[in-house]
Amino acid sequence: MTFIDRTITTIAGIIKSSYVQWETAGKNGLFQKLDPRVKVLFLVYFIVIVSLMRSLAAQLALAAFVFIVIAVSRLDVAHLYRRIAGFAFFFGFLIALPSAFNVITPGEIVLPVAELARSHRLWIYAIPKEIGLTAEGCFGVAMLTLRVANSVGLSLLVIHTTPFFEILRALKMLRVPDTFLMIIILSYKYIFIFSRTVEEMYLAMKSRLVGPVDGATVRGLIAGRIFLIFKKSQTRYEETYRAMVGRGFTGDIILPGFPAFSRRDVAAGLALALVGAAFLVIQHFI
Amino acid sequence: MKIIELHNVSYSFYDMVPALSGVSLSVSEGDLLAVIGANGSGKSTLLQVMSGLIHPREGRVLFRGGEVTEKRLGERGFQRYFRERVGMVFQSSDVQLFCPTVLDEILFGPLQLGITADEARRRAVETMEMMNIAHLKDRPTHMLSGGEKKRVAIGSSLAVNPELLLLDEPASGLDPKTGSFLTDLIISLSESGKTIVIATHDLQLVDHLQPTVAVLSEEHRIEKVGTVADVLRDEELLVKVNLVHEHKHRHGAKVHSHLHAHYFFHDHAPRHDHGGEHGRTSPPHEHPDAGAKRKK
Repeated sequence: MTFIDRTITTIAGIIKSSYVQWETAGKNGLFQKLDPRVKVLFLVYFIVIVSLMRSLAAQLALAAFVFIVIAVSRLDVAHLYRRIAGFAFFFGFLIALPSAFNVITPGEIVLPVAELARSHRLWIYAIPKEIGLTAEGCFGVAMLTLRVANSVGLSLLVIHTTPFFEILRALKMLRVPDTFLMIIILSYKYIFIFSRTVEEMYLAMKSRLVGPVDGATVRGLIAGRIFLIFKKSQTRYEETYRAMVGRGFTGDIILPGFPAFSRRDVAAGLALALVGAAFLVIQHFI
Repeated sequence: MKIIELHNVSYSFYDMVPALSGVSLSVSEGDLLAVIGANGSGKSTLLQVMSGLIHPREGRVLFRGGEVTEKRLGERGFQRYFRERVGMVFQSSDVQLFCPTVLDEILFGPLQLGITADEARRRAVETMEMMNIAHLKDRPTHMLSGGEKKRVAIGSSLAVNPELLLLDEPASGLDPKTGSFLTDLIISLSESGKTIVIATHDLQLVDHLQPTVAVLSEEHRIEKVGTVADVLRDEELLVKVNLVHEHKHRHGAKVHSHLHAHYFFHDHAPRHDHGGEHGRTSPPHEHPDAGAKRKK
């Protein structure tokens, strides 16, 4: 039953990561001190900037800026950059790599890879005699990889410096309805509660199993547990609904709003807006 | 003045499994009432009927003389009137804690009832101080301990400042310190004039609080309503409703059997061998009034 072990370990990992996120979001770092609304706006604004920037040097400069902010926010740099590198490699580099070849992106070949006897025509593609990586293609791959890295870096910066629920609440500012936010909040919350239940149920089952168990039995046990969790979720939903009604819920959720922005938050927001604008400008000069 | 009355109330789950059978009960303003009964006797269901969360198949529920029905609770005006005045704390705190953080949880009730944001925040601060949870205000509720969750759950109901507070198994699963805090809190709230109804099978809590006691049988009927002394001294009744049973018990090297409840049936004071018989003298931790009454 090693796959169950792995699943349970993953579930335990989810729970642990929630604690870690909450811990790091409460640290006394630069970004943690900012109002969540400023951070959400910063994230949206900078992701747009990352998409608009067409200079590799400017993307690298932005990556350096993100690195500095992550470091001064006292986050675990090595851990975050392992994740950023993973995302950038799989969702940026690997996906875009085929486009670096002259089969997809015509241009000056900088690294020949293969030479055919003659050129071919295959569906909509013209396959040239000499196949290789083009300068234009490599630029495109590098740009996409850096865009993914920067977007993920910015997202992780905000996620690890802001309690998850504060991020959700900050979405009120973007006119996301309270009821929708409450649905996400409840879903997120009960994932953790039920993760714990699943873990406990698994351990209880494990404690009663002796020796090897055949596949059919395992499938039966798992199906039974899935059904049980489904029933428990249903019961919990009904009880929670009653608890909400008992405290005045009538169908329209009202979540608490935020206080007015402090001067520090306004100053930080303006500073970040200027930094973002500066990146858009300097890309034309570097 | 009666705050809530139940007249011949019956309720069953899925119209098949009975939970309450012909229950009649009334609670007056300022009363402290404990509904005791074994597991499955219908205590939680009774509290949910009182709080208008479920509605009886038969019988009537009156709040301050006005009938509480599903239809009436659908009217915004009555709903707000009723929910502002009746608060319920569920047995499982996880059910009740559905908001992101402790502060949000405390604010939820007041905000849904249309109380202004400033007033809601003022109430939340006061409530958190009273419940000793101010230091937890920004913490997600699923990261709290059992005792902390219970405090937040009670605080979330108190923030609405209800006239009638319904507590379902308030002491279950709590450590002794949190249990004592809870007992003190219930006594303070009762002394301040709040009407409180508790559903419990914890006879020690009942002994500490000295409320009026209503006993629910396993047939889901009210068997008796009386003082703690009246009820807890009624050995036959407690055995019948499955709240006490014989069990083994150790005194130093001696092991003997007696009924589970220590309050009126068993005396720990004599240190000599009592031959395995049930002690019948006043226990040392018994409520002084109850002991005095019995000595007479």
